Amino acid sequence: MRSFSSQATEPDVPTLLEVQSAMRRGLLDGRDPAAAAVLAGVLAPADRLGIHRNTSRGTLTKALRLNFPAVERIVGEDFFAAAADEFIAHNPPGTAWLDLYGERFAEFLQIFAPAASLAYLPDVARLERCVCSALHAAGARPLECARLLDIAPSAQAGLRLTPHPSVSLVSSVYPVDDIWRAVLAGDDAALAAIDLAAGAVHLLVERRADEIAVTRLEKRRWMFADALVSGHSLASSFEIAGDADAARWLAEHLTAGHFIAFALDPAPPAVSEHEP
Amino acid sequence: MVPATARDNRPVPARAGIGLRFQHHRAVLEAAPDVAFMEVHTENYMGGGSPIHCLEAVRRDFPLSLHGVGLSLGSAEGLDPAHLDRVRRVAERIEPALVSEHVAWSVSGGAYLADLLPLPMTEEALAAVCRNVDRMQDTLRRRILVENPSTYVQFRHSTIPEWEFMTAVAARTGCGILCDVNNIFVSAENHGWDASAYVANLPPAAIGEIHLAGHGVRELPDGGMLRIDDHGSRVIDKVWSLYGEALRRFGPVPTLIEWDTEVPPLDVLVGEAHHADALILVASDGAGRADAA
Repeated sequence: MRSFSSQATEPDVPTLLEVQSAMRRGLLDGRDPAAAAVLAGVLAPADRLGIHRNTSRGTLTKALRLNFPAVERIVGEDFFAAAADEFIAHNPPGTAWLDLYGERFAEFLQIFAPAASLAYLPDVARLERCVCSALHAAGARPLECARLLDIAPSAQAGLRLTPHPSVSLVSSVYPVDDIWRAVLAGDDAALAAIDLAAGAVHLLVERRADEIAVTRLEKRRWMFADALVSGHSLASSFEIAGDADAARWLAEHLTAGHFIAFALDPAPPAVSEHEP
Repeated sequence: MVPATARDNRPVPARAGIGLRFQHHRAVLEAAPDVAFMEVHTENYMGGGSPIHCLEAVRRDFPLSLHGVGLSLGSAEGLDPAHLDRVRRVAERIEPALVSEHVAWSVSGGAYLADLLPLPMTEEALAAVCRNVDRMQDTLRRRILVENPSTYVQFRHSTIPEWEFMTAVAARTGCGILCDVNNIFVSAENHGWDASAYVANLPPAAIGEIHLAGHGVRELPDGGMLRIDDHGSRVIDKVWSLYGEALRRFGPVPTLIEWDTEVPPLDVLVGEAHHADALILVASDGAGRADAA
């Protein structure tokens, strides 16, 4: 970095990069001694960095509360704040667009010892991550089914669909959709009725108009949808589904507006035709 | 430097506006408040769904101002291209009359630190801010405004008074200044500056907008006092008075009432805006009389 005249006459003055790096470390980890040493030399008074640390933590904790409201209600405000504190120190956001902050919050809860007794908690967080993503996803016009009718049967096997930005799939061994709804509705009776051993759920999350829909799919159907959403070809997706109903499922997903575009694999060089 | 076209097809009149908060979206759409424009935080409208649709609906009736908090114009490492692109896309969709950011920084080492952090007032920092403002103006293809900060710390190696720093950013890049009168008051009280001298040293031609807000007061262990820019209350009398000085120096300027925490009912915000309107009127009349004398 080019040195400026002011730095040339005062070799001990840190560069802007050094100052910002030290402040970053001081904000994220108040005990960083190297950062403290730099800041003590330049900031007057150095302890005022605490004001910024409080504002920063407050803003990021609020973002996590907005993005994971069910998790907060399950563990309570104080526990959530402590968990958020720990999460933020090691997972600061990479962007100022905080609508999606907390991408790794579910994984963090998995290893956060104080939450170990709530085995379903990380999966509730995973569902909330999908809900949050659906809430803020860009809008897009659904694919018109008629456009697919023009595709030659020989090419259909290589069809790949682009999902609507708000669509995602998540599964859990716990009935996390029931937990999520009951917690957010404050429905204690429904919560009490939840059987954690009722079996796995396979969920499709999407935004319809301005509401978030969380729908249970039968396992095979979910695997088919997951394959399509992940970019598998139609042929590969049908194979994964292994179910005669897959064609009907495809039609229902298309009608529901779950896909917005398609691409076709290049035709293979072989002469023989393949039926989908 | 300044782009040739600003696409300001909905200019903001030199009257008062209010910040548009999520909790007031429905009220604003049901009954348009008597204000000249509305301002939002750019980062709150980067996704899809109801927020941006609501903003587009408000846009039909009001000029809009996009006020960003996360682009980090003071970053030594330059701007995050992905975030700059998100800002550009919101601006293209909304076609705002004003776009602004802060003379501060919030990003370092790939981490967004969720606060407006202070810059040393040095030639190096000035060069970094100017580089980043140039990049933002080139990408958005418009002139932007940069806001003076409120600060609680100073740097021992600062060499440039803050008002000179702001003036230099505007002179070198062609950007405008968003003069936050409350921030001038808060910083002046915290550091022992002369707030009136700060206002008197800003270039009138560069002032594109004024912000007014409330602030909090915190007692320090040594018995001293720190003012904290929390935007959580009414504008205090001394700040209204400093605003009057600013209007007499700059002339009428679009003025925004900022209230981000403990947000009151909509009519309270509108009331503060009308107070600003009255002062703009008084300052305009005063200027008229002075010219005629």
